[in-house]
Amino acid sequence: MAVIRDVMPAFQLLQPTTVADAQSLLQQHADDVWVLAGGLDSFDWLKDRIRKPGTVVDLSGVDELKGIRETSDGLEIGAMTTLTEIAQHPVVKQKYGVLSQAAELVASPQIRNQGTIGGNLSQDTRCWYYRAGWPCYRAGGNICYADTPVGRNREHAILHAERCVAVNVSDTAPALIALDAKFVIRSTNGERVVDAEDYFIGPDIDITRLHILQPGDLLTAIRVPSTWAGAEFYFEKVRDRNVWDFPLMNVASALKLSGNNIQQIRIAVNGAAARPLRLRASEDVARGKERTVSTGETAGNLAVQGAVPLQFNAYKVPLMRNLVKRSITGVQQEATWAS
Amino acid sequence: MPKSDSPASGSERKYGAKYKLIGKDYQTADLYAKVTGQAKYAEDFRADGMLFCKLLLSPVPHGRVKHLDTRAALAMPGVKAILTADDLPAPADSLSDLGAVIKANPRGERALTNEPLYQGEPVLAVAAVDEFTAAEAIEKIDIEFEPLPFVLDPLDSLRPEGPNPRVEGNIWVQQPPPPRKPGEPPAGPPPPDVGNLKWTSEDFKDVDSGKLPMGKTPDEWTVGDIQQGFKNAVLVLDESFVTPDTSHQTLETRSALAYWQNGKVYIHTGTQSTVQTVPALARWLHMDASDVVLISEYTGGGFGSKVTAAITAIIPALLAKKTNSPVMMRISREEETFIGRGRPSLLGRYKVGFAKDGRITAVDMFVICNTGPYDAVGDAPTSGRIVSLLYQPPAMRWRGVTVMTNTPPRGAQSSPGGMQGIVMMETVMQKAGRKLAMDQVAIRRINCPEGKADFGPEMHGKRTHSTSCFIKDALDRGAEQFRWNERLANKPKQVGSKVHGVGVSLSCFYGGSTGYDGLFVIKPNGRVAIQSGIGNLGTESVIDCHRVVAEVLGVPWEKCDLTWGNTAQNLPWTCISGGSQTTHAMTRAAYAAALDAKQKLQEIAAKTYGGKPEHYQVANERVFRKGGGAGMTLAQAAQHAIKLGGKYDGHEPPDDVNKYTKASVAALAGQGLVGVGKDKFAHDGSSMSFVATFAEVEVDRETGKYNIVDFLAYADVGTVIHPRALGGQVLGRSTLGIGHAIGQKWVFDPHYGEMVSRRFYQSKPPTILDLPVDMQWAALDIPDPETPVGARGIGEPPVGGGCASILNALADAIGDDVFQRAPVNADTILTSLEAGRPMQQPFTAHI
Amino acid sequence: MGFLEWATSPWGERVPIHIAWFLIWVSLIAGLLFLVVHAIYVRFFAGEKQFAGAISPELAARLPEKIARHSLAARFFHWIMAAAMFTLLFTAFLPKVGVQFNWVTYHWIAGIVLTASILFHIVHASFYLDFWSIWPDKTDLQDSVKRMKRFFGRSGELPRRAGKYPLDNKLYHGVIVLCGLAVMITGIFMMFRVRTGILPRNPYLFGDMTWGLMYVLHGLAGVGLIGLVIVHVYFAIRPEKLPITYSMIFGTMKRDFYLEEHDPERWVVASSGPENRGSANAD
Repeated sequence: MAVIRDVMPAFQLLQPTTVADAQSLLQQHADDVWVLAGGLDSFDWLKDRIRKPGTVVDLSGVDELKGIRETSDGLEIGAMTTLTEIAQHPVVKQKYGVLSQAAELVASPQIRNQGTIGGNLSQDTRCWYYRAGWPCYRAGGNICYADTPVGRNREHAILHAERCVAVNVSDTAPALIALDAKFVIRSTNGERVVDAEDYFIGPDIDITRLHILQPGDLLTAIRVPSTWAGAEFYFEKVRDRNVWDFPLMNVASALKLSGNNIQQIRIAVNGAAARPLRLRASEDVARGKERTVSTGETAGNLAVQGAVPLQFNAYKVPLMRNLVKRSITGVQQEATWAS
Repeated sequence: MPKSDSPASGSERKYGAKYKLIGKDYQTADLYAKVTGQAKYAEDFRADGMLFCKLLLSPVPHGRVKHLDTRAALAMPGVKAILTADDLPAPADSLSDLGAVIKANPRGERALTNEPLYQGEPVLAVAAVDEFTAAEAIEKIDIEFEPLPFVLDPLDSLRPEGPNPRVEGNIWVQQPPPPRKPGEPPAGPPPPDVGNLKWTSEDFKDVDSGKLPMGKTPDEWTVGDIQQGFKNAVLVLDESFVTPDTSHQTLETRSALAYWQNGKVYIHTGTQSTVQTVPALARWLHMDASDVVLISEYTGGGFGSKVTAAITAIIPALLAKKTNSPVMMRISREEETFIGRGRPSLLGRYKVGFAKDGRITAVDMFVICNTGPYDAVGDAPTSGRIVSLLYQPPAMRWRGVTVMTNTPPRGAQSSPGGMQGIVMMETVMQKAGRKLAMDQVAIRRINCPEGKADFGPEMHGKRTHSTSCFIKDALDRGAEQFRWNERLANKPKQVGSKVHGVGVSLSCFYGGSTGYDGLFVIKPNGRVAIQSGIGNLGTESVIDCHRVVAEVLGVPWEKCDLTWGNTAQNLPWTCISGGSQTTHAMTRAAYAAALDAKQKLQEIAAKTYGGKPEHYQVANERVFRKGGGAGMTLAQAAQHAIKLGGKYDGHEPPDDVNKYTKASVAALAGQGLVGVGKDKFAHDGSSMSFVATFAEVEVDRETGKYNIVDFLAYADVGTVIHPRALGGQVLGRSTLGIGHAIGQKWVFDPHYGEMVSRRFYQSKPPTILDLPVDMQWAALDIPDPETPVGARGIGEPPVGGGCASILNALADAIGDDVFQRAPVNADTILTSLEAGRPMQQPFTAHI
Repeated sequence: MGFLEWATSPWGERVPIHIAWFLIWVSLIAGLLFLVVHAIYVRFFAGEKQFAGAISPELAARLPEKIARHSLAARFFHWIMAAAMFTLLFTAFLPKVGVQFNWVTYHWIAGIVLTASILFHIVHASFYLDFWSIWPDKTDLQDSVKRMKRFFGRSGELPRRAGKYPLDNKLYHGVIVLCGLAVMITGIFMMFRVRTGILPRNPYLFGDMTWGLMYVLHGLAGVGLIGLVIVHVYFAIRPEKLPITYSMIFGTMKRDFYLEEHDPERWVVASSGPENRGSANAD
């Protein structure tokens, strides 16, 4: 049967106003349901008729999933909070700057106004073969079209590829890993809380998903502990265009210094693998060291150990090495004219 | 960065010192509707009982429909009709202006096909009560394709055993027209044949070392003695370079609405050229042009992809006939990527000799153009002509071949061929400047054209020449405004990982044609009703050109009413708005019509008050005896004209205007004083426009990311008609060129022959934040001596400069051996810097 | 519900991509069902085994107490293959039923081990063992007809004792050979699809349809093996078959069992001479 794209098929749209209602709707329609947050990932799939759920549960009316609350131990951010709100929130900006920076660099202003933190974290990969609806591993098939002798894989993975070489392109994920955030997941069995880095999975574990949500699960909130409040942060996103672009790679770090000595550090990178990578080896080697270029370089070199570049993405190896270095040393001021 | 405080930047400068209207900013009549959203583009229209249609696109890059069963789709409620290639009218011949029959190419592109030659080519269309139903119906169509061999990359096709994009071969072969028989109109050329061009393995032996193979080409020309030229050179460079395929990416896709009334078809669609779209639609529909009405008040961009709308516009027209209902075809972004045309990639190899003083001694230029599966675009031959003009080599050979592939059809895109030719030549100039230790402005200054500069091949023993050229002044003033020398002297050293580079580029393109008609009516109420046959493609030329009428007649602009965008409303024969010819051609036509009206006014005054017409002058809405005395208002003159009839009110149109204009004049006859005229002004040479472009970039050597810090385009376009619109064109088209440098591209999967960069976010057109905050432009405002108003077109020339100035600035920052193709992105920069040598695979297409 | 999963190829063709995974459960249940039915049959319906002809005591006396059945090499092969097979089955199917882990590397490594051991086995069995002992022969067919007649209550000749391998064992081996070769050959080609570092990666070695059918065949043979392995394990632990299992571990079986189940003419065992006594003189 012939294929047509860009015309949204019909579905039943359900718009609950509470999490409990949303969950019972998800259960009722468990076989054939799609959860809609900001819609920026979902509508692509729906409009292209690649995913044709019978029912879409739209969370945009669930007020309890929105907003940023200060808690005794940091912040709780509702999963449906927009990226704009996070980027502009005074407490986020002041104490958890790495998150506001990351949110601010997502896509474009229009997309940030509509896109949510939950959606940004749970979004699917942008591998253009997968997105074109080709029956690759991630789509349930038996091939990776990007990792072939002629595959076009400039934006694909250099680490932890397992059959599928797609990458996770969330900008906020590495920032939240650096902040040691916890993700609150509600399912029919109740609520569980996982570490940010454990929310994401690679193709070795499940080749069809980028996160651990099971059918019926909802990511309801992000808890940012106060542990890293006011720490030194670094966030950088490298992309082809200065707006409306996914990262070729991004890096987020949080450091606590004593003088120039690195007391505590967390670093995460995204765009290198199918999940955002927490760089424990780089952290370990930097911890207790002076914050110098040499420490940064050592950490950078460790970060790319085991990297396997594809035909067109070898640049990602020096890119990751340099970004990790900069996440420790920072970057010098822009060049200025003599006068 | 240094602040430019003098001279005034373009937007602040005053133009048109000797005019009242020309050279002045004003609010165009379409502006309010555009910014408030009231403007209606094709897909904003609705009609009673309107159906929608959707297209079934080919999934294969080359194949044949071997099985088609539409029964299940047609059985769906709400599905009204299906249109296939079998329902299309046969391709129609056309007539040239001289009356020669141009035979239709039976292998040319049609609106639908049973043998798709690229993935995404429309195969059939379904009309239904809504798009949702039409889409569901398409999914119910059982269709199978027999895949045929395909090729994406022209080099692959030229290899000894390379695949062909068409069963018959890979290039077009055009036989010359038969000799003219006495007493008959000239015979048109026969339809082109498909030939099969293969090169030898010997030709390909250096391809892996980054040297473009140069096998046999069907076309070549030489002027001067290139061997001697190379002998005289102290530096000879032999460089290969590849430019990208890029979509036109017009914001308005080529949607169309069509309906039939009393045997006439009415089509709403975006087009660059209102009047000349009618014959194109008529030819595609195999109908009489007088039965085709086009409505196109607003067009959301064309850039060459909608010169006469799109052939797919006949799909809703034919479905409307079949269903006896209006049919709307909305084209999605993905469909637009396939059918919306693109600039062809050029693969070039330039051998250029330089004397010690930087003067070019010889150019040996070789290009391969990837034209897609249908008609050959002219980019390859144009690239040679433009290079020969812009760098004035005393000896030059050009060789080129245009190869077909199974990629979406190419079309002219702003500065077609010129942009690619210049960009490749500019990278050679950049290298030469460095090797000869010359200033980059100086090496361009010594080579650039001046005045009436010869260029191109000899035709009948003669070369053509530019009508005028002042690019040296543009270079000098631009360098001054950009503070070129200061920037070079104070260029910051590398700070951290950031390095800066500055670049300059020459650029030029054709800027005008001649021979079209102007038409307006001075109404008895004194208002001037101007008929504009120009397309409203966003450049404002649809309105700007007619300022000439008001200027000549001395009428305030507020008293002019403009009619445009509907061919049922009596428009004059007008140039196509392509190749930046409009401003030149239609200011001339407007001037001709204005002179005609002036003459008629003077005659009416003489008839009324006595004396000879030349005793009267026209100014301030009046015609009156020179030096004061008797006179009448234009309103009164119009009333006189109606009384007089004949030529004065349009009952006797001039003989020399186009028959299309004559029909319009006849329809307007009796409404007032008709100003109508054909542009027959003298014109020596080819009207060419020029731009000198300057850019500064900052590159982060650790991430490969770079930003454009500063940008200036200084234009030599003759008289400035409308500064704000001119600035929009200079910077807008520069941005189009910048896109080619910084990221825009097509990417295909070579195994399946399918495009994978189908959406904006994948094909990466430049965004506003990729541009410097304070982009600058300026124009010389020196009139062209070969056109009465002195104005030339500007749409095309900035494109090459936009791309090349960025590439040159990049080369200045990180070395001119880092890249051998555009676009240049973090991947190229980082891998090459990491390896210490160029790491791009020079001739691999579509990465 | 289809038995195959289909997908639309980039060229819009419908191609199979693999079997429907519910077939895992079908095979599993079929294997267990066989087990239950067989157990019930043996417990309640099977008659006592009777064989034609008696073994001459003289022959019996000449035999060693322990009859060598499987050489060390043969046993080694068997258990390696068994380990590989279990690894393959678990790594293949656990993820499909929801137990998620990084299975691909283990799977193809086990596949290589299995392939190597099968190749060894083919060479070993062809040139060092009695190749034909595992394939059904004329006597097997005749005896199976006799058994069939007796099963349906008709009197007739008693079947003979088995050769080295009883017929059901031979048939089982035959099916395993089919399934095993199918998964092995398709599996080797499938290694071109993943990064192994051993074979050059070329996912485009075949067309979409060929690959699809290959995955289907691999899947079908694979799920078939679930049932077959269940049956195999079941027989291995059935009390009356334990001596055979024992022999697969220790290499020998007791003379009594040998004499009871096997026909010394069809499975000739060397007599116990001084030079042979005590050693496992496997064939």
